[in-house]
Amino acid sequence: MSEAILYTDSPTMDVRLKIWRFDSTTGDRELKEYEVEAPEWATLLDVLDIIKDRVDGSLAYRKSCRMMICGSCGMRMDGGAVLACKTRMADIVASGRVPTISAMGNLPIVKDLVVDMTPFWSKFRAIGPWLRPGYDRPDDGKEYRISQERMNVIHKESLCINCGCCVSECNAMESDPEFLGPQALAKGMRFVGDPRDAGTVERLEDYNDSHGIWDCTRCYYCNERCPKGVDPRDAIAKLGAESIKHGIDRDMGAKHAKWFVKSAMTTGWLREAELVPKTQGIVSAIKQTGFALELARHGKVPPPFPPHVAERVKEARLLYDLVKEQGRDGALGIVQGEHALARIEFLEEHGARLNAPEIQPGVEPPHAEG
Amino acid sequence: MAVEAKHDVVVIGAGCAGMRAAIEAHDAGADVALVSKIHPTRSHSGAAEGGINAALGNASEDDPETHAYDTVKGSDYLGDQEAIEILCQEAPGDVYQLEHWGAVFSRTEDGRIAQRPFGAAGAPRTAYAADITGHVLVQVLYEQLSRRELKVYDEYFAWRLVVDEDRCQGVICWDLLDGGLKTIGAKTVIIATGGAGRLYVGTTNAYACTGDGMAMALRVGVALEDMEMMQFHPTTLAPTGVLITEGTRGEGAYLLNSEGERFLKRYAPNAMELASRDVISRAEQTEIDEGRGVEGNVLLDMRHLGAERILERLHGTRELAMTFAGVDPIYEPIPVRPGAHYHMGGVDTDVWGRTELEGLYAAGEAACVSVHGANRLGGNALMETITYGKRAGAHAAEWALTHTTVAVPESVERDAERELKQLLARTEGERPWRIRDELAATMHENFGVFRREEQMARQGELIAGLRERYENVVVQALELGFLLELATCMVVAGRARKESRGAHSRPYDFPERDDVNFLKHTLVRWRDGAPELDWKPVTMTKWQPQERTY
Ligand SMILES: Cc1cc2nc3c(=O)[nH]c(=O)nc-3n(C[C@H](O)[C@H](O)[C@H](O)COP(=O)(O)OP(=O)(O)OC[C@H]3O[C@@H](n4cnc5c(N)ncnc54)[C@H](O)[C@@H]3O)c2cc1C
Ligand code: SF4
Ligand code: SF4
Ligand code: FES
Repeated sequence: MSEAILYTDSPTMDVRLKIWRFDSTTGDRELKEYEVEAPEWATLLDVLDIIKDRVDGSLAYRKSCRMMICGSCGMRMDGGAVLACKTRMADIVASGRVPTISAMGNLPIVKDLVVDMTPFWSKFRAIGPWLRPGYDRPDDGKEYRISQERMNVIHKESLCINCGCCVSECNAMESDPEFLGPQALAKGMRFVGDPRDAGTVERLEDYNDSHGIWDCTRCYYCNERCPKGVDPRDAIAKLGAESIKHGIDRDMGAKHAKWFVKSAMTTGWLREAELVPKTQGIVSAIKQTGFALELARHGKVPPPFPPHVAERVKEARLLYDLVKEQGRDGALGIVQGEHALARIEFLEEHGARLNAPEIQPGVEPPHAEG
Repeated sequence: MAVEAKHDVVVIGAGCAGMRAAIEAHDAGADVALVSKIHPTRSHSGAAEGGINAALGNASEDDPETHAYDTVKGSDYLGDQEAIEILCQEAPGDVYQLEHWGAVFSRTEDGRIAQRPFGAAGAPRTAYAADITGHVLVQVLYEQLSRRELKVYDEYFAWRLVVDEDRCQGVICWDLLDGGLKTIGAKTVIIATGGAGRLYVGTTNAYACTGDGMAMALRVGVALEDMEMMQFHPTTLAPTGVLITEGTRGEGAYLLNSEGERFLKRYAPNAMELASRDVISRAEQTEIDEGRGVEGNVLLDMRHLGAERILERLHGTRELAMTFAGVDPIYEPIPVRPGAHYHMGGVDTDVWGRTELEGLYAAGEAACVSVHGANRLGGNALMETITYGKRAGAHAAEWALTHTTVAVPESVERDAERELKQLLARTEGERPWRIRDELAATMHENFGVFRREEQMARQGELIAGLRERYENVVVQALELGFLLELATCMVVAGRARKESRGAHSRPYDFPERDDVNFLKHTLVRWRDGAPELDWKPVTMTKWQPQERTY
C-alpha cells in the first residue's frame, strides 16, 4: 500500500460540543452534549460528521464542499454565525472551551442546524439580481472592455457565497424582518458598481426605499461575521455614496450623509449640532434639541455658534475638489481608499512603509463616520 | 403518491451544466424545471478556481484549432475529435455570452478578459476570475435563472428515472425537507449531476459528488463510457484532499521533493510544472513511492512569487492552505499529493447530449461526450459544462416541443415506493459510513494513480462484498448504493483496458499505450444485476495518434 493512502492515521483529540437540537414539527428543543474523538486537523464540520456517523444519525445540518465555497454550512457557535467547515477545532479544544452550536439567527429553524432559507432568497430576488442589459454590446461581438480598476469596485461583493452568516447576525433585520439586509444589498452593490449594468439609477431608487440602505443600523456585525470578506456594511456605504452621487437624497440618511460632506468642507469639522435640522427639518429638530444639548454638555459636539473652523479646512476642501475632479466620488473612491489602506496595513505589518500619509504630531485628524 | 408536476424539460442537477442547459431550453420556448439535491449556488462547480478554456487570443495568438489539437493530445488520443472540435469552436462565443450576462472576469491591461497559461496548453488560454472562476460562473448562471424565474425543485434528491415505452418520461425524487417521494413528469430529462469523486478517500470533490446521475442512467440500461478514467489532480492538500489550483503553477510555483529538487525535470523537462496532470501525478507518486516524499507528500513552493503576488492573485489558495493545513504559503511550501479529481467517464452521449434512451440526455461531468478521453486538460471541464450544457438544453427542448405526451404509469411509482419502504424498514446490519469509508480507502489503494491487475481484481471482489453488506443496511444514504455500482463499472472497465493511457496507468503489466487494440472507448451496461462490457470506436477527424511527450 503506498504511503499516500494513509489519511486516517493522524493524531487525535477529544472534542466536546453542545448542540441545540430542534424539531419544528413537535417544537421540541433540547441542548445536548457530545464528546467524540477527532483528528487534530478536524473542523467543526468534521466533528459534526463524526457525531452523525457514529453517535446520532438523526442530527441535521447542511454541507457540501467542505472548502468554504458552497455556503451550505452556516451555523452559530456560541451565539455568532460561522461556517462549520472554516472553523478549526484544535485551538478551541486546547482552550478547554465547550462551544454551543445552534442554528443561524433571523431565519426560521426547520430541524437542528437547518434553517429555512426562503426569506433569504426572497430578499435576494427582491434586489433584481441579474445584470440589466441596455448598453450596446461591443461591435465585434466580443467582451465589454472594462479596466480591472473598475472591476475592483465589485470584487469583494462578488465573493459572496450566499451562506447567510451576515443575515443571521443583522441587527436591523431583527427589528425589521422586511429590511433587505446585508447579503441582498451587497448583491445590489455588485450590480450598481458594474459598468455593464444599465439599471444603476432605478436600482438606487429601489434600494433607497423603506427597508433599504438607510435602515441599516451600522452595527457592523455583518462585516465581522462574513466568512468571505464581502464586508456587506461597506457595500451599503458604497450604495449610499452612489445614491448621493446620483442625486438620490430623499431619505433622511442620505441627507445626513450629504450634510457631513458639506460640513467638513466648509469648516473642516462635522457640525453635528446642525445636522439634525438640516436632515430632519426644523420641527423634529426642536424635539431633538434636548438630545443635542446633552451631547454638547458631554463634549461630544462643539457648540453650534459661532461656527468653529478647523485650522486645516483648506486641506479638506482641496481633498474634496480633487476627489470630485478625478471622478473618485461614489463607490470607486471608497474601494481605492480601501486598497490603499490595505496596502499600507500589509506593508506596515511586514516592517515596510510605502507612501504612508504624513501625520502631523499632536494634530487630531477630524473624525467622521457615515 | 401523485405526479407532482409535468414539464417539457426537467434538468437533474443545477451546477454549471444543469443551469446552462435549463437556460437554453427555456430560451428555446420549453417549460423547464430543475431538480437539485442542494441549492443551485451550492453546486460543486463553484469550487473551480483556475479558469475556463477558450481560444480568445487575449494574451497571445491563439485559435480553436490549436485548442482542439492540445485537447486531443492531452486526451491521449481517446477523445472524440468531432466533439472536441465543436467544443473549441463554440467556446469563445459561449464565454463572451457569459461575460455579457455579467460574469466578473479578471481583465487585461486593455480591458479584455484575462487569460493565463494552464497545463499542456499551447497558449495562455484559460480565462479566469481571480481564483474563484467557478464561483463567478455559478453566480452568473443563477442570476440568469432568477431572471427567467425558472422553477427549481430545491433539496429534492433524484433517485430513479421513469421509463415507459422505451422513453424517459420523468424522475422520482425524495423531498429532503418535507420527506416523501415526489414524481416529476417530463418529455425530456437531462442528467447534469456532476462527478463521483467521493469514491475515493482523498478527493477534491464535495460530499455531494456521488455520481448519482450516472448510476440512475445505468439502472435504466443506459451505457456508461470510459469509467476507468478517473483523473488524479497533482496538487491536493494533505490531509483532506482540498484542491490547490493549477493556477498556482500557472503563476510560477514549483514542485519539490524531499531533497528540494524540482523533480519534474526528470519527467517533463520542457513543460516542467505545466505538464499534463496525469504526467505530474505519476511523477509525484513515483517520488513518494521511491522514498523522496515528505510524509507521503511532495511540496508546492510559491515563496519566490512574493507576498504581494500571492495576496493579490492567489488569495483564496492561501486561505485554504492556512485553514486546512495550517501553512502560510508566503513563508512555507504546501504539502500536496495526487487526489481523485475529475471523472472523464460518464453517461455515453452524442454531440447533442443524447443517450441511448430516447428522451434522456446528459451533460457536464456526469456525461462522456467524450472531449477529455483518457485525460482532461485543466480549464476544459468548465468549458464543457457550458458548451455541452447549452447543446443538450437546445436539443432536449426541440424534442420536447415536437412531442406531446408524458405518461408516468402508476406501477412505476408504486414500485419505487415499495422499494424505498423496504429499504427504510431494514434495521439490522452495518452503518453505511463504515462501508463508505472502506470503499473510499480501498479504491484509493487498488484503483489509484497506478493500477495492478491483482489489485484491481481484489477490488472487484471487495466491492461485491461491500454490496452484499450494504443490502442489509438502514439506508441513510441512497448515494452509497449509487457509488457501489459505479465502482463496479470502473473496475470492470479498468481490467479490460490492458494498456496504459492517460489516467489509466498500468506500469507493472501493460506500461505502453496500445493503439492497435485499445484506441477505443469502454462501455459498461447493467444487465440482470451485473455489469456487461462493450467497446465503441473513437471518432477521429484530423489527428492521428502520436507519442505524447511534454
Ligand atoms: C476543486 C475543483 C476545482 C476545479 N477547477 C476547475 C477549473 O479550474 N477549470 C475547469 O474547467 N474545471 C475545474 N474543475 C472541474 C469542474 O469544476 C467540474 O467538472 C464541473 O464544474 C462539473 O459541473 P457539473 O455542472 O457537471 O456538476 P456540479 O457542479 O457538480 O453539479 C452537480 C449538480 O447535480 C446535483 N445533483 C447531484 N446528484 C443529484 C441527485 N441525486 N438529485 C438531484 N440533484 C443532484 C447537485 O445538487 C448539483 O446541483 C474543478 C473541479 C473541482 C472539484
Ligand atoms: S451593519 Fe447594517 S446590514 Fe450589517 S448587520 Fe448591522 S444592521 Fe445589518
Ligand atoms: S455577505 Fe458574507 S456572510 Fe453574507 S451571505 Fe455573503 S458570504 Fe455569507
Ligand atoms: S460545506 Fe461548503 S461552505 Fe462549508
